[in-house]
Amino acid sequence: MASTQDIQSAIRARAGKLLQKEVISCFIGWEAGRFEGQSSPLVVRSAADAQKLIYNDYCVQLLAKYLLTENCSEGKVGVAVRGCESRGINLALKDGQLQRENLHLVGIACQGVKDFSTKEELKKCQECTHRNPIIYDDLIGSEVTDGPRVEDTFAEVIELEALSHDERYEYWSAVFTRCIRCKACRDVCPGCTCNECFTDQAAMGWQGKQSSLAENANYGITRMFHSGERCIECGECERVCPARLPLMQINRKVLKDAYDIFGEYVVGIDDCTPNPLDTYLLEDVEEFM
Amino acid sequence: MSRIGVFICHCGTNIAGTVNVSEVAEAAKSLPHVVHVEENKYACSDPGQNAIKQAIEEHNLDRIVIGSCSPRMHEETFRKMLSETSVNPYMLEIANIREQCSWVHKEKEVGTEKSIDLVRMSAAKVDRNVPLYSGEIPITKRALVIGGGIAGIQAALDIADAGFPVTLVEKEPSIGGKMVMLDKTFPTMDCSACICAPKMNEAGAHPNIEIMNLSEVEDATGYIGNFSVTIRQKAKYIDYDKCNGCGLCEQKCPSKVVSEFERGLAQRRAVYKPFPQAVPSKPIIDAANCRKINEDRCGVCHKLCGADAINYEDKDELITQEYGAVIIATGYELIDWTKLYGEYGAGAYPDVIDGLTFERLINASGPTEGKIVRPSDGKEPKSCVMIKCVGSRDPHKGKAYCSRACCMYGAKHAHQFLEKIEDGECYVFYMDVRAAGKGYDEFYMNTLEDGAVYVRGRISHIYPEGSQYVCVGEDTLSKKLVTVSADMVVLDTAMVAQESADTIGRLFGVTRNLDGWLTEAHPKLRPVETNTAGVYLAGAAQGPKDIPDSVAQASAAAAKVIGMFCKDSLESNPMICTVNEINCRGCGDCVDVCPYGAISTQSVDRRENSVWVTRTLAFINAGLCQGCGACTASCKASALDLLGFTNEQILQEVDALCL
Repeated sequence: MASTQDIQSAIRARAGKLLQKEVISCFIGWEAGRFEGQSSPLVVRSAADAQKLIYNDYCVQLLAKYLLTENCSEGKVGVAVRGCESRGINLALKDGQLQRENLHLVGIACQGVKDFSTKEELKKCQECTHRNPIIYDDLIGSEVTDGPRVEDTFAEVIELEALSHDERYEYWSAVFTRCIRCKACRDVCPGCTCNECFTDQAAMGWQGKQSSLAENANYGITRMFHSGERCIECGECERVCPARLPLMQINRKVLKDAYDIFGEYVVGIDDCTPNPLDTYLLEDVEEFM
Repeated sequence: MSRIGVFICHCGTNIAGTVNVSEVAEAAKSLPHVVHVEENKYACSDPGQNAIKQAIEEHNLDRIVIGSCSPRMHEETFRKMLSETSVNPYMLEIANIREQCSWVHKEKEVGTEKSIDLVRMSAAKVDRNVPLYSGEIPITKRALVIGGGIAGIQAALDIADAGFPVTLVEKEPSIGGKMVMLDKTFPTMDCSACICAPKMNEAGAHPNIEIMNLSEVEDATGYIGNFSVTIRQKAKYIDYDKCNGCGLCEQKCPSKVVSEFERGLAQRRAVYKPFPQAVPSKPIIDAANCRKINEDRCGVCHKLCGADAINYEDKDELITQEYGAVIIATGYELIDWTKLYGEYGAGAYPDVIDGLTFERLINASGPTEGKIVRPSDGKEPKSCVMIKCVGSRDPHKGKAYCSRACCMYGAKHAHQFLEKIEDGECYVFYMDVRAAGKGYDEFYMNTLEDGAVYVRGRISHIYPEGSQYVCVGEDTLSKKLVTVSADMVVLDTAMVAQESADTIGRLFGVTRNLDGWLTEAHPKLRPVETNTAGVYLAGAAQGPKDIPDSVAQASAAAAKVIGMFCKDSLESNPMICTVNEINCRGCGDCVDVCPYGAISTQSVDRRENSVWVTRTLAFINAGLCQGCGACTASCKASALDLLGFTNEQILQEVDALCL
């Protein structure tokens, strides 16, 4: 198993080489933040700058989202990919948001990232089912053992499902009362690729401007319908939420329903399997008919 | 600023009986942008329509709301009315205060309150309506008829006689369907084959009809006036261009198998025509039972064929053809009672047969030349029990519905049995006798006079005793247990939908009800149309029917097709989907959900923020789009909008109700 130090050297070397040979026009990785244990995504455009790239236990940001921004749309883009990034990229490929031939993926077998303050592995990484990148052009080091099986990640959802209707209503009311609608969860989500989000289409009036439980819940529920069944379980929404809302519980509820009704389906496992809610098959369950 | 007119219809007492119309009208006056409100006794009547037209002129209205019956009923009427005014026909909203309101509520207070809500929603919606204009779609003037039973044949003949080409697709080797298997037809007792065969021949010889036997519809795309249908022509192993139908191959074929046409009462060869009057009057080879094809032995038919028409190498062929209209006439099948009725022996007793098998037994051209014999020992049965409603009107075991034809063919069978067998005894066990039809009840009365014993009740079980069958049941009129020993039992089994109707319905977007029958657009007013424009139903595909009803419906469907073909082009529905290219991100979710294949994605180069970028965008084929709205619901970016039902309009409606 390669140490993070080894991985960092390898990323710098590969990114530098790819940029020098002009295989790619830019490379997306992480740079060190202002304080120890901080990092932020970095777009490198020259071989010399590749030395700014870092890799350690605290590189928490999901890079797949940064591929979707306009500033790296020219030429081929290099990017460091772990399991979560690769699933996000597959989702974007399927949605027609990226072209595979425009990507050079440097794979990293991930051992999970940590919270700097507690030095403990992040919750999203503890629940990670795909630590190894699913797609890559070249891999640094060797693959690692995968995390829990998919069903195990539904434990929290199963607990919630066992509650009565009133108890659930109370639970979610308490959750959404705390939402401040900063929309960070949307901004960080690799599945959110609309040119203009429904919540910003003010003239249409999908979303009111009031600060109320109803509007908060409207935002949360609509977001669930838009991205729940396409969630790659990177857990970024939950990580960035300043109100610390259990957003992955909502996503996983949709995933679990899709899983129970339409059978095993892992979002982002490839770039061609259609979303279960967007397709109609003869053998689909029709309980309501 | 829009100027909305609101018209509330009394519909006699249909609405006014449960809704305080004046109160609704009063409430409508205070709605935003409403400048005129009027009550109307019958808005759809001529005076009603004139009053609306007059109000439009007088008050300079630019859009209207009509509170009346369901838009399915009169939206078209009022659109047509608007087309005679200065207002665009699509600046109209119907508030359904009849079917969804007055008819379902008993208390006037509740009905009135709901009507006000519905009118308020419609007024909010109409405020955002925009004028829409129809385009023109060309018509391919060729019809496809699926199913070559009497309904399909009649429909094909009617269309062909009007001068339009028709393709008649039949999955069996011959057209004729079930009717040609029957002996005589109630109530006139015409020989079924004698009246069916001339129609078959006429269809076979008609210059405008192309019969494709042994064929099935495999795929269908397109829309009214322009369907593209792929038909699988299964291998016949006989070159129909060379074959002269001499029948020598059939005589000499050594491979004998059970005849489906004779319901297992006789055998046929591997190269065969199912019956002498078959159309096309040429044989096919049943590959599953041909020795040459399976074992590379025999080859007798090839050696003997003077026309050199045998081709063992024949393959299935896929033929794609354009059609303007489609008639589905897939007919019925009899329910497989052997799987459901263990108490009747589940098919183990050879002399317990279904009605269609009995038809072959009494048929002069059948395997016994019309002599009624027991399939088990070939002896003449002296007594017969007929059981009606086997699988029909029996929701626990079979189907809940009535199969409609059984009461009459049961009476016919009893009549024929008593006529042919001297000293014969015939017992008919029935639930009710349903003889609604011209001359039907008279026929049933005659059967009673013939001596048929009608017993009201079901048979609970049948068991063999010696060479006879003991039928045990209850006479529910005398409330006594009845036991009848009979030489033969005929079960009048339920009609069920053809399995293939399922696939065909799905291909053409025609829904099926729970029992699998194809659904018409409206049970009373549009009985032959389906919800897919340009696709019509004929015969028992839509539900159990007898021959007169099937033929009548077939001609009705043909009339619809001919009416359409007489036009040069069709008006397209302007209520279709549109793409907001700024918001579309090209994910293609809409392509997957569109049931009509109307959406594709296309690459478009365009300037954004002074830079040329290539975008993938959804593209709607206006001819294919049926305006169902599935795509608009699937579009996360809300880049798709259904004209006439835009997101904005729906939100306005919801807000009007909820806020």
